[in-house]
Amino acid sequence: MTHPEALIEIKDIHKSFGKFNVLNGIDLTVRKGEAVCIIGPSGSGKSTILRCMNGLMPIDRGTIRVGQHQVHSLKTEKAMRPLRHQVAMVFQQYNLFPHKTALENVMMAPIQVLGHDRAEVEDRARKLLDKVRLGHKADSYPGQLSGGQQQRVAIARALAMQPDVILFDEVTAALDPETVKDVLFNIRELVEEGLTCVLVTHEMGFAREVSHHVCFTDHGKIVEDAPPAEFFANPRDPRTREFLGQVL
Amino acid sequence: MLDLDYSWLADPAYQSWLVVGVINTLKLAAISSIAATLIGMLGALALTLRIAWLDALIELFVEVFRNTPPLLQMLFAYFTLSTLGLQVTDPDTGLSMPLLSAFACAAISLSLFGGALAIEAFRSGIETMPRAIIEAGQALGYSRWARFWRIEAPIATRISLPALTNILSNLFKTTSQASVITVPELMYYAGQIYNDNFRTMEVMILVLVIYVTLVSILTYLMARLERWMAFPGYGKAAS
Repeated sequence: MTHPEALIEIKDIHKSFGKFNVLNGIDLTVRKGEAVCIIGPSGSGKSTILRCMNGLMPIDRGTIRVGQHQVHSLKTEKAMRPLRHQVAMVFQQYNLFPHKTALENVMMAPIQVLGHDRAEVEDRARKLLDKVRLGHKADSYPGQLSGGQQQRVAIARALAMQPDVILFDEVTAALDPETVKDVLFNIRELVEEGLTCVLVTHEMGFAREVSHHVCFTDHGKIVEDAPPAEFFANPRDPRTREFLGQVL
Repeated sequence: MLDLDYSWLADPAYQSWLVVGVINTLKLAAISSIAATLIGMLGALALTLRIAWLDALIELFVEVFRNTPPLLQMLFAYFTLSTLGLQVTDPDTGLSMPLLSAFACAAISLSLFGGALAIEAFRSGIETMPRAIIEAGQALGYSRWARFWRIEAPIATRISLPALTNILSNLFKTTSQASVITVPELMYYAGQIYNDNFRTMEVMILVLVIYVTLVSILTYLMARLERWMAFPGYGKAAS
């Protein structure tokens, strides 16, 4: 079954590290404007799915389509570049460039990679920092910002690329509970504005409120994929039930 | 008790020897420091290409120059380079003379010695780059080269600076060994002076003070550079 309106279409992907099969036949479809949350126990392959979507990790078998890009057939970093303009990523450890200020972190790639006009990019970057409510920290270095602030700069940096999709890889996992709120607030705003988002998360409340559908991964498979109301109230798979029983 | 007599310092001949000696020491140190830094950067850069034969070649170069005495390297450079047939005819005297002067041989051997150590310093800076930084660059669509120049090299340079300071201050002191191959630098003239006036202790104390002063200036400047290039969270933070 193909979904012509689907922005991301993943079919039967497999990936192993040595003898360990991380992904055992994943199927996932994300439509434009959707927010999809991937939850599941650690080691079940959640982050690997995201890394395969933007080609950071090659897959062994299966197909991945993002927009017009057939990700599985892109072999070189050069071939990946158009894909990476379309798909931005926010990491668990923020991964900001420590030698650049917050503003420079946001401006770098649009100027250096996309070749956009500097003045226009600076204007865009300042607006994005305002949007994540860090306009006053534009000249601070990552080392001078708290974890939550760094993560919001990382979100602004991803947005500056004007992507069609943003992948969020456990972006609140390294944060303390108070700053988690601020980061989730920013992400919720993006979802409400209609940006396509795929999130690996442990924030069940957030997944329930924000996402259009929720996937549960276990042993490299998506064992449940349902709208949040159904997913949390009436999970079909016993493994989902067990997991939710432990975390809720 | 020490009975120090520095009256010989009033002698203009000794004064000019000391001045020339210091100038030649500074020249030799400056040339070999700059060359060593460049060799270090180029070598570390070449290692990032991951070309097997090039890696092996650089590895061999580093091992040879790191694991042999710099004095031996200097003698080796002096005696081989000057006997390799690299001779020119002096246009003034018509005499045949080696193309490479003792100074040039010293500069070349010190540059290679320092360069071998600097390659290791820069290499360790590049290799300790967090995987996360590289991934962030990839995810933003940076090409391998752009990523290296815009992201990895600036961070690695800052990380490598303290090690480079050590290498350059050692290199500065090693210039004194050029006296053995008749390069008229500070140590060479120090020998000339005490062979002349037999005030060995006085001359050695003076030379020691001069070296301490010069190397201290170098390390001070490197510390300034480190602070200037620092960013919060790595090394000496400016904040």
